[in-house]
Amino acid sequence: MATSVSTAPDTKAGQGTAMEISVSKFDLLKELTATQGVVERKTTIPILSNFLFEAADGLLTITATDLDLSLRTSCQAKVKKEGACTIPARKLYDYVKLLPDGEISIKQMENHWVQIRSGRSNTKMVGMARANFPAVPGFPDSLGLKLPASVLKNLIAKTIFAISNEESRYTLNGALMVLKAESITMVATDGHRLAHIENTAQKFTGISGEMRTLIPRKAMAELSALLNTSDVENIDFAKDDAQLYFRIGPRVLTSRQLTGQFPNYEAVLPRDTNKSVSLRSEDLNGAILRVSQFADERSGAIRVKLEKGELRVSSSSTDSGESEDSIEIGYDGDPVTIGFNSHYLLDFLKVVNTGNVRLEFKDAQSAGQMRPEDSDDGTKYRYIVMPMRI
Amino acid sequence: MSFSEFHGNEHTVMRLREMLIRDRFPHAVILAGPEGAGKYTLALMLARTMNCLEPKVVDGLPDYCGHCSNCARIAEAGDLDARFAEAVEAREGLKETDKKETRILIQTHPEVMVVPPDPPQMLIKIGQVRRVIETVYYKPADARRRVYIFTAAKFMKEAANALLKVLEEPPDFATLILLAENPGELLATIRSRCVTFTLGALPLEEIERDLAGQRKEWGVKQRQLVARLSGGAVGKARGFDLDAYSAARKDALTLLNSAVETADHGELFRMTETYRGGEGKDKTGSLLRAAYSLLEDLLFLRSNTPELVRNTDIAAELSRLADTVDFEWITRAAAGLGKVESGMRRNLLRNVSLDAMVATLER
Repeated sequence: MATSVSTAPDTKAGQGTAMEISVSKFDLLKELTATQGVVERKTTIPILSNFLFEAADGLLTITATDLDLSLRTSCQAKVKKEGACTIPARKLYDYVKLLPDGEISIKQMENHWVQIRSGRSNTKMVGMARANFPAVPGFPDSLGLKLPASVLKNLIAKTIFAISNEESRYTLNGALMVLKAESITMVATDGHRLAHIENTAQKFTGISGEMRTLIPRKAMAELSALLNTSDVENIDFAKDDAQLYFRIGPRVLTSRQLTGQFPNYEAVLPRDTNKSVSLRSEDLNGAILRVSQFADERSGAIRVKLEKGELRVSSSSTDSGESEDSIEIGYDGDPVTIGFNSHYLLDFLKVVNTGNVRLEFKDAQSAGQMRPEDSDDGTKYRYIVMPMRI
Repeated sequence: MSFSEFHGNEHTVMRLREMLIRDRFPHAVILAGPEGAGKYTLALMLARTMNCLEPKVVDGLPDYCGHCSNCARIAEAGDLDARFAEAVEAREGLKETDKKETRILIQTHPEVMVVPPDPPQMLIKIGQVRRVIETVYYKPADARRRVYIFTAAKFMKEAANALLKVLEEPPDFATLILLAENPGELLATIRSRCVTFTLGALPLEEIERDLAGQRKEWGVKQRQLVARLSGGAVGKARGFDLDAYSAARKDALTLLNSAVETADHGELFRMTETYRGGEGKDKTGSLLRAAYSLLEDLLFLRSNTPELVRNTDIAAELSRLADTVDFEWITRAAAGLGKVESGMRRNLLRNVSLDAMVATLER
């Protein structure tokens, strides 16, 4: 299974010589902060709580990994002696944060000790042998595709909350990204609700047919964090048999792939909804927030009732009482009452934020669909929630 | 390094290797056998064979090279005690809040995870099993197969139950290996999901021959004794600390003798006093094990099967003792030892429990 691209292109430089560099605190801290999400705090595998520092050609490359997810990043540095060493991640980050602005010199000593000096501060820390650090594959340039950063950021934000937390449903522990020549789609579901977003404003060259990729939740979260702190226009994406690669500016995020087939989600997208209504998302959000205070705590169940000219949201629980809110709407069809988990509806309204949303129902036994009405950026966002029996 | 270095149980090892070469290796396996039988050694050998970068075939059976980067990294897990100590130390170094949620895991190769019992209870816990479930569905990148090795059969109840689903249907590329001194300790639902292979005891002569090569400093007499005391487990025989055992056995004898001849408690109290201190826990453990082996020998002597006696070097003393006791007394003594053992788990004073045990056995 190990393909040629997954063997690490180690920085050959300076194996054997002691690394010595000097780097500005600002640059170093920026990169260390970016890697914090990847460094595993709760691990008993000693090497994983270390960073790998590699210095060569005026660049300091920092690598962190938890074996499933790896991040490699780099910054400018004055490289006095090329080399590589490992440094305890947490301690280094906490220490560098406290240093005054200025140049930090990092020097490798004997027996994996590392000296860190800045101004009048002088610290020594002990790392581990560089050879123990797991191999992290480099970005396979031959397979690379360009994805627009802002689009991807939006796609992740609109789907990540629907990824399943249940460890037994492992094929749902990630989001599916479907790339076609003329569109990019992201889907996530936990079996109770499904978030689906498609962007057709982009053209992707080099894709024939469709390319389906299951991105693990941890990688989604990390990718989203990296996109938020970066202003690049495009990112590079590639995958091989076992790994996914994302290059965001100077940073490369590598994730292992999950096994298994994402369920056939197209089959659950409702097609024959005949009752539909449009209303302001703020109004609906407010009403549900209020009413859900009085919903059963475990299920969060609320009733949504569509009547002539009115949408009623109500809840009741034996512990806390009952509550109802109504919103005026232009609806003239048959009345319908459906139970929903209020948390699921609020999750959606939170990412939609403002504007009108359209609710589409069929009957009390069928899934409901929600989507924002006015999207002008070429995206089609839909959210499907299974009903509850109440 | 290769399978040729695995001692004994040729048939079991051959069957496992045959299944490997035919690509018919079960996805979940229990390796059963007494302490020191080579369960862990064999599990790591299998893991290396599955993932070796330069695999070999020796006499029609698969083998590993022992020097490629995969073999080397997996072999680093070989010194389980040292890796375990490192992991425990790493946890000690964590923040107080993280410490509680961190479970001991050993992973010298990204695809091979070793799950030892988690201290201080020394049980496999739900947090460890969760981590296994979280990672097992990731495709292997550095090797062909993901291998999980549970080094003991002692599971917390929830942990054992959580393991069931993944044990039943792990992904194609994963193999789970459970090591058990006594497979009966595992849930029936776990056993039924695994194929069990047992590493049996080796004949005395075979162990003696092995010791002749491994522990040259020992005389013939000592080797014979150790071969008997190790119960047919090579690993146990090779690492046998004869001096420590003799010391523990001497104390165990004092214990039993005082229980039989009530004359003077002075010697007993002086002896049990030394089990009181901070390191007395392990010491008491070896004392109890030695006492059990003596009781077993008494049982053999009373049953007229003296050829089975293990502590052959003190045969005369044992037969003298055997003449003064009966089966009923031996039963009570074994029960008494069991009581001391369970008392130790509740932190009872060790010397007092030992004295109390002797007192109840006196006639």
